[in-house]
Amino acid sequence: MKNNRKLRDNVSKTLVYSLGSVGLIILGMIIFYVVSTGLNLVRWETIIGDSRTISTDVYLDEGVGSYILIETIDENIVYSEIWGIGLVDSTNKAGYPIVEIAYIHPESKLIQPFDRNVVDEEGNHPQVDLKVGTAIEKALFNNNTIIALAREQASGMIAKLNQATSITSMSVQIVGGGIRGSIIATLYTIVFTLILAIPIGVSTAIYFNEIATYSWFSRAIKNMVDMLTGVPSIVYGMLGAAIFVPLLNNTIQTQGGSILSGALTMVVILLPTIIKSTEEALKIIPNELRQGSLALGANQTQTIFKVVLPNATPGILTGVLLGIGRIMGESAALIFAVGAAISDRVILSERATTLAVHIWVIMGGDSPNFELAAAIAIIILSVVFVINLIIKIIAKRLQKNMNWS
Amino acid sequence: MNQEHNMKKPVFTLKNIDLFYGDFQAIKNISMNINYNEVTAFIGPSGCGKSTFIRILNRMNDLIQTCKVSGEVLYEDKNVYDKNFDVIELRSKVGMVFQKPNPFPMSIYDNIAYGPRCQGIKDKVVLDGIVETALKKAALWDEVSDRLKKSAMSLSGGQQQRLCIARTIAMEPEVILMDEPTSALDPIATQKIEDLIIELKQDFTIVIVTHNMQQAARISDKTAFFLLGELIEMDDTNKIFNHPKHEKTEQYITGRFG
Repeated sequence: MKNNRKLRDNVSKTLVYSLGSVGLIILGMIIFYVVSTGLNLVRWETIIGDSRTISTDVYLDEGVGSYILIETIDENIVYSEIWGIGLVDSTNKAGYPIVEIAYIHPESKLIQPFDRNVVDEEGNHPQVDLKVGTAIEKALFNNNTIIALAREQASGMIAKLNQATSITSMSVQIVGGGIRGSIIATLYTIVFTLILAIPIGVSTAIYFNEIATYSWFSRAIKNMVDMLTGVPSIVYGMLGAAIFVPLLNNTIQTQGGSILSGALTMVVILLPTIIKSTEEALKIIPNELRQGSLALGANQTQTIFKVVLPNATPGILTGVLLGIGRIMGESAALIFAVGAAISDRVILSERATTLAVHIWVIMGGDSPNFELAAAIAIIILSVVFVINLIIKIIAKRLQKNMNWS
Repeated sequence: MNQEHNMKKPVFTLKNIDLFYGDFQAIKNISMNINYNEVTAFIGPSGCGKSTFIRILNRMNDLIQTCKVSGEVLYEDKNVYDKNFDVIELRSKVGMVFQKPNPFPMSIYDNIAYGPRCQGIKDKVVLDGIVETALKKAALWDEVSDRLKKSAMSLSGGQQQRLCIARTIAMEPEVILMDEPTSALDPIATQKIEDLIIELKQDFTIVIVTHNMQQAARISDKTAFFLLGELIEMDDTNKIFNHPKHEKTEQYITGRFG
């Protein structure tokens, strides 16, 4: 009998430990994969860079000279003395291999070549500024007789450049792949969502917790709010596409989805969360405080705004931070409501992508970009992690302060 | 009723009060007068309705949805339960101190200034004066004058309760209701509150609910004995404790039940 019990105890323990470690291993593997894939790209240029790649063709009929290096440059840079330009093998912000300009001699004519794709009013081609970091895709020299391609790498291109006396056409790319636009769009979405969701949500919670009398109606609404927290977000996205997008199209003449319609959709998604967390915060405020205030001749509004709300602030803040996390992570609803157009010039009334939707966009198509997706995932994860940390700190403070009498 | 009782002017006149919590009748047909500048003590065993009854006087029972009151509650000749009666005005004239000290989680100064501020007083000099006077009247000034900006939650239980009394005094009320104000305090803090109540009798009418019969005997002028929602007997305190008319009163004050 005794042995049997011991055996069962051991079996259950083994089960709990093994299943628990399976869970940990899976989570660890996901995080390891994301970090190892994306960490390379979590760098400043990616974060503040344009997403769109600007391509043009430049030419330079003459410019051969002898540009002797006057300063030491990185040993990876392959330098052409007759053109005064140094190239290097690199990867772009999205992780693809490219050849980019790493150094230009200050006297080199290549600092300002002519732009073949643009013609000004007088019929001349304007000069463009070539900068360090510009990628070269391919180049045609000496009236198209010499062709150099990016896949020949920096050394190959320089070798051909050294044979050239004129640059007939060089395709350059100010390389994109940055996520600045999506970060800004995400921030806009967060700000506009919260501006609307906090007052509405907090007021609703105050009404049901402080003002409304207990009735079947208020109970029904409360239950409905609970239920709404569980509705999949794509349903809300549908609502956004069906109501908010046409509404904004007709009132402020937006074209299709926009950050504003996305924010409105997120307001609907966040309301239940904010209402719920505010309610929880209001519930733990002892009734003695309300009575104390009312007994001093304060009216209900004064009691709510001077005594109840200040003490509920930490709880409300927790709800708001959870909401920010929710906006950062939301994708399905925002694909409908904001659209999936990665944009560098973010305008409130136009289509854009939030970070999560950015991942969705670059993972679609024929060549999903795992590295950039993982990099964005790291950014989202770290923000959410920081938010959770803040919530923990607030919750701790809350417990300390709420130690009434 | 004796002669002295009739001479004094009542601040509260209650006639045929019934109070129901849903179907349960908590107060059964009680009538009484509460006189100016007297300390009236409500005594009785737990659940006898004394705390419920005191909350009729400033309509704190309004907060309980199922609570229904009938009868006439006259405060300075106006019916408190009239439809047009301003309950906010009533509560600023009839202050209340609760069983558990309930200072707001804000500074000592803000606690005292809360009531006057709600009345619209914003002038810093005026508020400073109110705070100082109230704290002095509540015998708390010497202990806290150097830390008015500190949180009220940092005070001891007895200090917190005196702060709550000071907070009530700051409203310059006519009546102060006290619902077992010392039941959560130690004997020394209780002693201080009792001294304070005797002090405050000069300026205020005080109604106090207490479990402690000695306390009622020490500080009150009138004592009302409640039992199961009924007012058994109300008279001068020394009469109640020395020559109770009713058998139940005698049994209770001699400790035979309760």
